[in-house]
Amino acid sequence: MVNWLAANYGSIAIWAGALCTFGIYTILYKENKFYRFFEHIFIGVYGGYGVYITWHNIILPKWWRPMTSEGLWWWIFAAVLGSMFYFMYSKKHAWISRVIFGLFMGFAAGGIFREFYEGYFPQIGSSMKPFSGSYSNILSVAVFYVVLLAAMSYFFFSFEHKHPAVKNTAAAGRWFLMIGFGAMFGATVMGRMTLFIGRLNFLINRWIPEVRAEAQSSLFWIIMPAVVLIVSTIGYFVFRKSQKLEA
Amino acid sequence: MRFLIRLQNIDRRILYVLVAIVLSVPLIIRPAKHPETVFPEVRKTYDTIDAVKPDNIVLLSVSWGAGTQAENDPQMQALMRHMFANNTKFVVMSWSLVGSELSYQSGMHVQADVNKQRSREGKPLLEYGKDWAHVGYKTGSISAIVSGLGENFQQVMKQDRNGTPLTELAATRNIKNYRDIGAVVDLTSVGLMGYWIAYLTTPKHIPLIYCPTAVMSATAYPYLDSGQLSGMLNGVMGAVQYETLVGQADVATDASASSWALSAAHIYIILLIVLGNLGYLVARKTGDRSGGSKLG
Repeated sequence: MVNWLAANYGSIAIWAGALCTFGIYTILYKENKFYRFFEHIFIGVYGGYGVYITWHNIILPKWWRPMTSEGLWWWIFAAVLGSMFYFMYSKKHAWISRVIFGLFMGFAAGGIFREFYEGYFPQIGSSMKPFSGSYSNILSVAVFYVVLLAAMSYFFFSFEHKHPAVKNTAAAGRWFLMIGFGAMFGATVMGRMTLFIGRLNFLINRWIPEVRAEAQSSLFWIIMPAVVLIVSTIGYFVFRKSQKLEA
Repeated sequence: MRFLIRLQNIDRRILYVLVAIVLSVPLIIRPAKHPETVFPEVRKTYDTIDAVKPDNIVLLSVSWGAGTQAENDPQMQALMRHMFANNTKFVVMSWSLVGSELSYQSGMHVQADVNKQRSREGKPLLEYGKDWAHVGYKTGSISAIVSGLGENFQQVMKQDRNGTPLTELAATRNIKNYRDIGAVVDLTSVGLMGYWIAYLTTPKHIPLIYCPTAVMSATAYPYLDSGQLSGMLNGVMGAVQYETLVGQADVATDASASSWALSAAHIYIILLIVLGNLGYLVARKTGDRSGGSKLG
């Protein structure tokens, strides 16, 4: 059995991938138990894989081995500090978890200053563009300033936008923002389509050739009709039950 | 007129099936033709990788998983091909559990593909450990890891994904700190760019290349404008343009098929928007109130 699994690992992976893809995409028809089943498989596999990789790649080489084999015994204090998080589940001793949470919040708050400084200050500097170079560059800089000032005026809430100059500039700013959001939404559609393309590409260019290759075997023509019959019967009862519940 | 009004009430499941058909055609045909237009940010990415010194490495930060493999994997493979062609060594690190495995498999796949060509040309073959390395999955405080690897790369990374000490791999043996990193590439679906900018690339003047999913790309343009990013590959379209630059313009790849499928999908969506709005306008003109979206 183990040898058979090892020999057919590639085919099994492709078939499992195809089955999971179809199972997950049944949600497009309607909410159903097939979808929930494959969703739970994914969560379970991901959780189990996460535990293994975290132990194998992180905890074992960076904490356990240095502490037990390399004489770095003081790494035991990392376990003490880490276990402090779990006191949040105790009403009586929750204060212990707040100590370690406070420590991490302090780290994060300190880091935010640096992230803000390094992230946004250069952009403020680069917003001061000179009107120089070719005519197209000057035009580009002029468009940049018009959009920048209009968008900024829209977010100016210190006084009411009564003066026509401020009011109209803020209205133009709103339009510019809408155009920006439209571009972002266009990119979102592109991204979502690409994800679907990825799955379709897998089914068309990996799974279908695999089916074609296996269709040469007589065993395939015995197993496949049986599998299709079983899956269709389960599917029929799952969807019929959900339709009855809806009714 | 009734037909146009009814277009507003198409069952969404019919639209899904039509999307699948529209996307499937280019994926079945698999056109090899790549786009001739290359965006400036993609060209900058190419130039940045080209400018990496021979004794420096490129650090690939992977924070994508199976969910966005269709977008991020072609980006990474195109970059790897370029670095293999230039004999630029690179190190892959992953912040994602699944991404760690997928990126390793992709690296091995590109290596095998490039080696076929090298074998035909009689050039020395590429090897894992000598030409590139994968240090596996990393977790914990991102700011500490990013900052730390710039100061002491060996101490922070220690070993590759197979447990081999980095001092034993030719690709990583000589990496000490940020001075040995020629560029950082952030291949991401979650947005770790801020950490790289704050803790490594901007303070140490290392070029940062951003390879996000298309959803995230719009927010990155101010960073390109300010020079905090040295280049960007915008989703799969960025990947397919990069393939054009690395000499794959006439090779049928997943990215080229995806780009054609994407163009077909865009035309389909524009057509639906036009038809839906036509139906809305006609319905409004005739006073028909049966229009609207159907969710069931």
